[in-house]
Amino acid sequence: MGFLDALLGRTKAKPIAAEDRLFAMTTAYVTLETGHNITSRGRAAIVFQPVATADFEGIVSEMEQIVRGTGEETGTQLHVEEDSYGYRWMILEDPDVEDLVVGINAVSDALAVGGYGDRVLAAVFSFKDTRDRSLYLIYNYKRGTWYPFVPAGGEQARDAERELQLKAIIGTELPIEPELERWFPLWGIPI
Amino acid sequence: MAQSKVALRADAGLQARMLITVFLLGAVYVVLIAALFGAGASGVTILVVAGGLFLFQLFASDKIALASMGVRRVSPQEAPELHAMIERLCVQADLPKPKIGIVNTSMPNAFAMGRSQKSATVVATTGILDLLSPAELEGVMAHELAHVRHRDVMIMTIASFFASIAAMILQFGFFFGGDDDDNPGILPLILVSLAVYVISFFLMQALSRYREFAADRGAAAITGRPSALSSALLKISGTMERLPMNDLRSHAEMNAFYIIPASAKKSLLTIFSTHPPVEQRIAQLSRLEAQLQGAQLQGAR
Repeated sequence: MGFLDALLGRTKAKPIAAEDRLFAMTTAYVTLETGHNITSRGRAAIVFQPVATADFEGIVSEMEQIVRGTGEETGTQLHVEEDSYGYRWMILEDPDVEDLVVGINAVSDALAVGGYGDRVLAAVFSFKDTRDRSLYLIYNYKRGTWYPFVPAGGEQARDAERELQLKAIIGTELPIEPELERWFPLWGIPI
Repeated sequence: MAQSKVALRADAGLQARMLITVFLLGAVYVVLIAALFGAGASGVTILVVAGGLFLFQLFASDKIALASMGVRRVSPQEAPELHAMIERLCVQADLPKPKIGIVNTSMPNAFAMGRSQKSATVVATTGILDLLSPAELEGVMAHELAHVRHRDVMIMTIASFFASIAAMILQFGFFFGGDDDDNPGILPLILVSLAVYVISFFLMQALSRYREFAADRGAAAITGRPSALSSALLKISGTMERLPMNDLRSHAEMNAFYIIPASAKKSLLTIFSTHPPVEQRIAQLSRLEAQLQGAQLQGAR
């Protein structure tokens, strides 16, 4: 944010970051599976703030149809949930992580083309380790960076050690968010 | 690439008014600086002392203010919903997470403090947490985050720097000048300071109001729900007028960063006010909502 923006009090939405940063997942998951026994749960979601306009709902339902349509070939399943913060989760299920990435990208693309790119909060990919613990990799569209999120046992507790291990494992393949204070948790991930 | 739908058409009128205000403020201050140097050694002394005070204000005032307001920092465990809500808004606003504080008072209000984005603190009162629905609270918190993002505390502190010098000269000018009649520099300096103080007061009030409008636009851009903020403003202002005013005077100096000034006196002239009237803010938010809904406001302004 530039000096003039600060002086004039302008909030500019950032353009969505380049797609290839999201697509880095298509190779990173292989490293996780083969080298570290961290496997995909076959689920990913894109989270966004629904806007109460006819235009927006039109784009969303059109987008759902497209994803369902291509899903008939790729086997990708789609369902939608709203969370208690008023955000909408579009959840894709597919054992093939590459299909998940393509599906997530199709959704964010459709929102961006419709002019609602800045409503997208994040994309979340769900993984599990050998003890069946959930590990999440979260993609921040505004910054074009990934960060790990591992909920620990208690309420709103996170396993920082495991997250930093994940960063070390995958840091060379995914563009990881360098500022730790921006590793924002997402509590109650439904995938 | 597709343009965003929400609040991205910059309000050219608002920006122009803000630029003109900043320019006039600068011009007034140049007059003061000239007068300070014209007054010779005593004038320069004042400038140096004030400079020290300014640095102190910049680095310590937020901590003092937060302590005097009785702000209690809350951990994610103590206020999980508030933390989670602000975290999501921070992602949308592309901000680092601020510190979060709560003030225990029934008065519904919220404010942001801190000179930089990294040292910011966002505070809500228990009154506002109880009063507003989640979507409304989200609008209010986004408004405060927009203040943080626009660096409003820093800008208003800088803008008030020379005004505080002028105020200082008015209060202590005679001491700096001494009481001998041989020093001709100090009387004109006091007169200039008086003029600078009065003019910059109104300019700063105007600047503060413009920045409130800008923060409302910023909030709409962050949440995509301008009407939720309107609804919150209506609820807060309605409650403010019903509540007794007794315990509010001690908070007067904090008004510039409140979502709604604590003394919501209707009779006050707009020109004396740090915040625009709620009706005007709601009118702006309605225009943003209309823009969002795709309605064309032909000749509406």
